[in-house]
Amino acid sequence: MMRRDVSQQTTEVTAEEWVRRKEFVGFTEQDAQWLRELRPAADAFVGDVVEELYRRFLACEETNAFFPDEAAVARVKALQTAYFRGLTQGEYGEAYLADRLKIGRVHQRIGLSPRWYMGAYALYAQLVTPRVLAAYPADSVKGQRTLVALLKLMNLDQELAVTTYLAAREAVISQQAREILEIATPVVQIWDGVVAAPLIGSLDTARTQQFMERLLERVVETNSSVALVDITGVPTIDTVTAQHLIETVTAVRLLGAQVVLTGVRPVIAQTLVHLGVDLSDIITRSSLAAGLHVALDILKLQVTGKRPA
Amino acid sequence: MSTDHIAVLKVREALLVTVPSDPEDATVAALQEQVLRAMERHAGKGLVLDLSGVETVDSYFARTITETAQMVGLMGGRTVLAGMRPSVAMTTVQLGLLFPNALTALDVDRALDLLATPEPDGRRP
Repeated sequence: MMRRDVSQQTTEVTAEEWVRRKEFVGFTEQDAQWLRELRPAADAFVGDVVEELYRRFLACEETNAFFPDEAAVARVKALQTAYFRGLTQGEYGEAYLADRLKIGRVHQRIGLSPRWYMGAYALYAQLVTPRVLAAYPADSVKGQRTLVALLKLMNLDQELAVTTYLAAREAVISQQAREILEIATPVVQIWDGVVAAPLIGSLDTARTQQFMERLLERVVETNSSVALVDITGVPTIDTVTAQHLIETVTAVRLLGAQVVLTGVRPVIAQTLVHLGVDLSDIITRSSLAAGLHVALDILKLQVTGKRPA
Repeated sequence: MSTDHIAVLKVREALLVTVPSDPEDATVAALQEQVLRAMERHAGKGLVLDLSGVETVDSYFARTITETAQMVGLMGGRTVLAGMRPSVAMTTVQLGLLFPNALTALDVDRALDLLATPEPDGRRP
């Protein structure tokens, strides 16, 4: 389900980009014309080519796995025939582009690795070359030009496939980055009037902004007087990060609550002193537990052991 | 919001002012005038500014409120900013607008509690 969402989001290649790509590989209207003329011959040998292609696919263990039964093979053979006939359809505009991108997405979705996909094009080239040349026994120059036109177009198709793969991959990466941003800053209430926020990973400006927002909102929602910000999971701290923390603390104070910075490990303490960062205004503790003590003090609460009845 | 509509209420020992959502310069200036007059009249122990309705602040607002807090201090009272919204707190910090002479509280209730405690217990932004 998630994969589908991702592949639908991708807008891989625009119409203008497609025109530029065709120009780059030198695919001209003349090439389109050669391919249109190849159509009758291509229709005659497409059956052979597809049969041979699937003999190779089914012989290979990795690609064989994609075809569970005879029905599946018959279905993809029909699709492959349609694909190949598409190469000689004669119109290579936006409709062609959309169709090829769709094919790329389908292969990406079923998880076929690009190497097999690209390999299939190598097989195609081998199978098609002698057949195209044989279609023009009397005019070998025309045969060669037609072949070159076909190879250019198949090359463009490969490019589109790679672009689709990359776009889908990138969409997944950016979605994961967003998810990490989301999950990395939980703010939980640990006592009446006390929230705790364990920070994990490095604190850049975007994350600080989001963390600050969430922390302030939770402080108000839970009506908490103390916020424990735990930096045990922050690997290193620099002046920028420290500045971000100070801003967060200041903002929380403006709401009328207080921040206790916990999880100040020895290495962090050393770094802060060496950098000359002044946190003397902020209550800091080495552990979250020590911070909770401070919080209870601020709330004027005392924890006592239960007496045996 | 017209300047006449700033109401300075006396609650317990303190003065309470609800700041309008988008305070104009004139409103903020009038607020200062009225607060100081009320301080004189009631000899209040402090001032609570209810900011829970405030949606935007600017540097004029920050400066005037800081000055007002300082003036109230000279007249023997403490100032508490109560109920600032998270978004306003963020903007304030990012613009570097601080309220160095004011205390803060989550809401008016706690602000009044804070003013009732004899010694000031921190919370200076």
